[in-house]
Amino acid sequence: MSLAKAIETGDLAELPSRRDEDWRWTDLRGLVRSLPPRSGTYVGNLGPGLFDALAEESVSIVNGENRTTLVLGSGGEHVVAVRYIAGPGAGAHTASPKLEVEKGRLILLETLEGADAAYLSEIDMTMKIGREGHVERIVLADDADEAISVLRWDVTLAPGASFAQTVIATGARRQRIETHVAHPGGGASVRLDGLYLLGERRHADITTVVTHAGVDGTTSQLTKGVVSGQARGVFQGRIVVEKGADQTDARMGHHALVLSDRAEVDGKPELEIYADDVSCAHGNTVGAIDEEALFYAQARGIPEPQARAMLTEAFVGEVIDRIEHEGAREAVRAWVAERLHRQMEKAGEAA
Amino acid sequence: MAAVKETVQSVAELERYKHGFVTEIEQELAPKGLSAETVRYISAQKNEPEWMLQWRLEAFERWQALEQPHWARVDFPEIDYQDAYYYAAPKTKAGPKSLDEVDPELLATYEKLGIPLKEQAVLAGVEGAPRYAVDAVFDSVSVVTTFKKELAEAGVIFCSMSEAIREHPELVRQYLGSVVPVSDNFFACLNSAVFSDGSFVYVPPGVRCPMELSTYFRINAAESGQFERTLIIADKGAYVSYLEGCTAPMRDENQMHAAVVELVALEDAEIKYSTVQNWYPGDAEGKGGIYNFVTKRADCRGDRSKVSWTQVETGSAITWKYPSCVLRGEGSSGEFYSIAITNNRQQADTGTKMIHLGANTRSRIISKGISAGHSSNTYRGLVSAHPKAKGARNFTQCDSLLIGKDCGAHTTPYIEARNASAKFEHEATTTRLSEDQLFYAMQRGLSQEEAVQLLVNGFVKDVLQELPMEFAVEAQKLVAISLEGSVG
Repeated sequence: MSLAKAIETGDLAELPSRRDEDWRWTDLRGLVRSLPPRSGTYVGNLGPGLFDALAEESVSIVNGENRTTLVLGSGGEHVVAVRYIAGPGAGAHTASPKLEVEKGRLILLETLEGADAAYLSEIDMTMKIGREGHVERIVLADDADEAISVLRWDVTLAPGASFAQTVIATGARRQRIETHVAHPGGGASVRLDGLYLLGERRHADITTVVTHAGVDGTTSQLTKGVVSGQARGVFQGRIVVEKGADQTDARMGHHALVLSDRAEVDGKPELEIYADDVSCAHGNTVGAIDEEALFYAQARGIPEPQARAMLTEAFVGEVIDRIEHEGAREAVRAWVAERLHRQMEKAGEAA
Repeated sequence: MAAVKETVQSVAELERYKHGFVTEIEQELAPKGLSAETVRYISAQKNEPEWMLQWRLEAFERWQALEQPHWARVDFPEIDYQDAYYYAAPKTKAGPKSLDEVDPELLATYEKLGIPLKEQAVLAGVEGAPRYAVDAVFDSVSVVTTFKKELAEAGVIFCSMSEAIREHPELVRQYLGSVVPVSDNFFACLNSAVFSDGSFVYVPPGVRCPMELSTYFRINAAESGQFERTLIIADKGAYVSYLEGCTAPMRDENQMHAAVVELVALEDAEIKYSTVQNWYPGDAEGKGGIYNFVTKRADCRGDRSKVSWTQVETGSAITWKYPSCVLRGEGSSGEFYSIAITNNRQQADTGTKMIHLGANTRSRIISKGISAGHSSNTYRGLVSAHPKAKGARNFTQCDSLLIGKDCGAHTTPYIEARNASAKFEHEATTTRLSEDQLFYAMQRGLSQEEAVQLLVNGFVKDVLQELPMEFAVEAQKLVAISLEGSVG
């Protein structure tokens, strides 16, 4: 049951609904009344990509047509940009790229770009990272207002591998970003971070499942969100520690700022643990901007709107700071600052 | 080092499950199976008025359309609802007027369980010892309620549910089903159709209930289910503290306890509800034990009302229970303190719901889960704030402790914030007992088992201190007994 299956079969009953526990806050069946036709091949100029200057190589997957398998086995460091683009017009499309990194360090800079249309899209990516493979990926999911967009990533690590991911989601009519990591332990490490910036009526759902199957693995997760207007942010994180996966160290944090009374944040940080020699923790906070910090800044002569903006930027900055690739980190920081500024302005107008 | 002494002493007193005996007593059973006839039979046995029968029949009809839910992280074979007795009562002469008329077998049972049914016995105890009134429920009926007279002088009504239906129909009709609607869920609906007995408490405006109230539930009859129904109402400015305890004989078959407990707190009222649940947990291989499928909910209807749930869950083969608070009144508050211990093959899926509807409502959740043996222990909870719940606040802490390689500990919290001024904080940790601390305690001369008890008691301390004193002592011992044999 998935959006991709519904698009492929044309059967609306394949859409996940709120009755499916993992989709309780992102109901697609109640929302999609009919499926648009399949998106056609897009011919036209794609324009420049955000990460063009940083990447050695750039791959574009337009309207899901291009099915790519990327294999990297040579070692060394590579920076690759991948652009998923939904062309104009309300179409439906799927893509299922595959990636294998046997050896070496790969920096994957991905953008999800949508023309202003009510498209339906599901991109399912599978990724395998070998013993000497290290992947850091940054994903800017910038879908259109009216889009329904699902991303599902299945990542399998070998012992010794490392995987780090930072997702920045700005939502859509429904945007769901799902990451499943098969974690073998054996010194492998995972960092799974997320940031959602949602205004107006946008909806984003960041869902992660990390399954620790072997001894000695680490996972560190930090997701933050800022919601305003009538937006809705969802975070579902599940860490599973299977029997025998001792010495697992897993931490998960989710913190959200709610800036308007009509915005909503839903969270479900889950721990499912079947091994006793582990150290697992999760923390979750939801609230408004700290009034005391706001007061302090104002007392120092900073006008309220700026103080608010400053505190919000500092709040999301913690996620951006964890990006290791410097060029990408700064590009993301600038992009996020601009988005946040627009969001805060709109929220200010509405208030 | 009083705690150590206490712990060492409780270890010395360890017994497998000391409440596992059966009382040989003549009993009346409803015909086996469940039908509208069974519902009529139960209602007739209790001499209920027509409206109550209709209420039950309606519930039964709705129940037939419902399906048993499967979302909890517990695993059990399909239940054959036709293969059980829905009503079992010890045969008695019509309505005992005093304790002297109660079957001596029953009195002996309660004495063996350490439940004081004789008021004098309590009074003759140590001077200044706190007294508490007891309602004793044996299978499907309440056998006796103590201190009724003294409570009546204060205006407090404390009696069995059956009696309340007869004596105070206006109160029962007003509040029954108003917190947990008839068809709220599968088990609550079943309970509404066939509920047997439980306690009814009404505390009038401004009255502080002069003593602790307590109900002791005992399942005795084989192949039967117990369907407890309890309703507690604290009127404006009233206060009541209520305790509940439960035990059952050791049997190879599974028995069901499907209860519904409703609490109503009006303006400025406070209800403190404590449970020590010690149903028979089944043997080490998971044979037998009670299925404890319970719906407990409090409605903080009035402004500034407060409800506090404290539970120590050590028994039952399966526990499926979420004592909740609907925080409707402005400034009302809810608390949930829980210790859930699973050992051997026990399964627990328990937690709470804090539903913030009113402005400036507050809630606090402290949950300590301990799993040992081959057991599975899940915390499942919901904290939600409605758009109107301005300034709602919640703090949640769930800690899990794992003892052994074959058990599971899970945390599944749901958080739904729907306004900007709600402030929710949630923390959870899962760890095992610290090797360093164990080593330290053992190096000081404690055996491994004693050292574990000591550390576990430290782990659950935050919750134990919320219990009334006598219960806290009892609970501490229970914690030790439940974990017996879990190390080494």
